[in-house]
Amino acid sequence: MENKVAIVGVNLDSALDIEKSRERLIFDLVRGLMDDLGIEPTDVDTTIFATNDFLVGRTISNVFEDSPAGVYMRDESKVEMDATNAVMYGTMRILSGNYQTALIVSQGLCGHQVSPYLHISYSLNPIYDRQLGLLNELSAAAFQARDFLTKYGFGDDLMHAIAANSLANAALNPRQARQLPDISPQQVSESPYYYEPLRELHCYPPTDGGCAILLASAERAKELTDKPVWILGLGSSMDTYYIVERDLTVAPSATKAAKRAYEMAGISDPAREICFAEIAALFAHQEPILAEALGLMEASDAAEKYQSGETAIDGKLPINPSGGALGGHPIPATGGFRVAEATLQLRGEAGKNQVKDPKRAVVLGQDGICAQQNSVLVLGI
Amino acid sequence: MEELRETYITPVVPLDFTYNYRVGQYMERFLNSLKDKKLMGVKCPECGKVFVPPRMFCGSCNQKLDEWVEVAQTGMLANFTVGHVVLEKGARLAKAESPYVLGLIKLDDVDSLLLARVEKVAPADLKKGMRMKAVWKEELAGDYSDLDHFEPA
Ligand SMILES: [Zn+2]
Repeated sequence: MENKVAIVGVNLDSALDIEKSRERLIFDLVRGLMDDLGIEPTDVDTTIFATNDFLVGRTISNVFEDSPAGVYMRDESKVEMDATNAVMYGTMRILSGNYQTALIVSQGLCGHQVSPYLHISYSLNPIYDRQLGLLNELSAAAFQARDFLTKYGFGDDLMHAIAANSLANAALNPRQARQLPDISPQQVSESPYYYEPLRELHCYPPTDGGCAILLASAERAKELTDKPVWILGLGSSMDTYYIVERDLTVAPSATKAAKRAYEMAGISDPAREICFAEIAALFAHQEPILAEALGLMEASDAAEKYQSGETAIDGKLPINPSGGALGGHPIPATGGFRVAEATLQLRGEAGKNQVKDPKRAVVLGQDGICAQQNSVLVLGI
Repeated sequence: MEELRETYITPVVPLDFTYNYRVGQYMERFLNSLKDKKLMGVKCPECGKVFVPPRMFCGSCNQKLDEWVEVAQTGMLANFTVGHVVLEKGARLAKAESPYVLGLIKLDDVDSLLLARVEKVAPADLKKGMRMKAVWKEELAGDYSDLDHFEPA
């Protein structure tokens, strides 16, 4: 898919405890984006929201979001999924030829208002797992972590190294909520256990935040920016539901999603052709699992990759130079953050997190227990 | 600078959402058999896999699962975690009173894993592949809590 749909602008904001209402957050994000681009709400042809009813606390959670987004009574739709899916939806709308621009808006205030673990608890089988009360997002992630470590004979120190890589990057990034300057693997290893082997700093923090992204057709993109970031490929896939029937050490749905996205983008050797990856790994161990699914590394090489610095901002294949989801997870905006951070990188505007001269990036957003659903985008300049 | 804090309220919802989910014929049979200290599963006619708890269709083969089998109450510990937290009402994270063990049990001749509490083994002695056996509550009620936990066999 060559140069048909571009990301022309992004705006994002997050904090562990953001001091504004969700409506004000949306207004600030969209108004800021429009001011950057010098456009007005009437320049937006369609809007796709990504919000979660459980986390907002009402059905049709986007119902009052069109006004602060400036698109009241305008063409609008919503995904109840990670924001990468809203980006895909907007892309497809532009590809249909009916729209020249698509605004993506996503927010989640899970810092203090509501537990970020709630929506996964509600995705559990109501007549079995929810009744037993033993399974939740964290205990499931712990099983996944243990399976992953055991499969390759890795120790917990790999988890500390992966988390420290992300958290150090997050500390350089003013757009990230969790700021832990001078973080070391040692400090990660001293954070309290949730479910062994999973410790607090292996996990995403409860986060408030949101993002606004404007997509445009090639023609319109030329008028709006001199730094378009092209959506070159996309794909999404969903794994089977029950974690007790899944091999949690692999992510076949991410593999399938990536295959589609790479084919569309004409990429045959991602480990060579991709310059960096923004992966919504909600827990440290998920990063190598998902990176393997994206064709960027063999998970069995993870220890070597992370300890040699290959995944760092100045490494051979930087993973989550922004700090990733361990720096913040404002559900379901997290995938939108990955898209926005990758866009800033490709425009050379990522500040202290800047990777050297990137041309192609892969972005992964996920949803569901143990990354059950995965969406992949290939971006390029 | 004085720290700015937003004031939070917990909205009062004037409704009491009580749902009566029908568990369905399959879970009904599974729960009823717990009263007799039996673990019932279903077998797929195509791939031959046995699922516990039972379900009506095989996810991979899309075959109706009609063959009921009573499965062994022994197996091995396929995976485990020591919980130091619990998710309370509203999925709020809280510290557990004391660490507890959860295991994924691979029952003999069953293809799915069964999540259960694991007792009578110190966290340091936990090992994948340990033999396990089911332990029942003294008084059986035909509900989820009848199968109390697993412990080393
Ligand atoms: Zn089958």
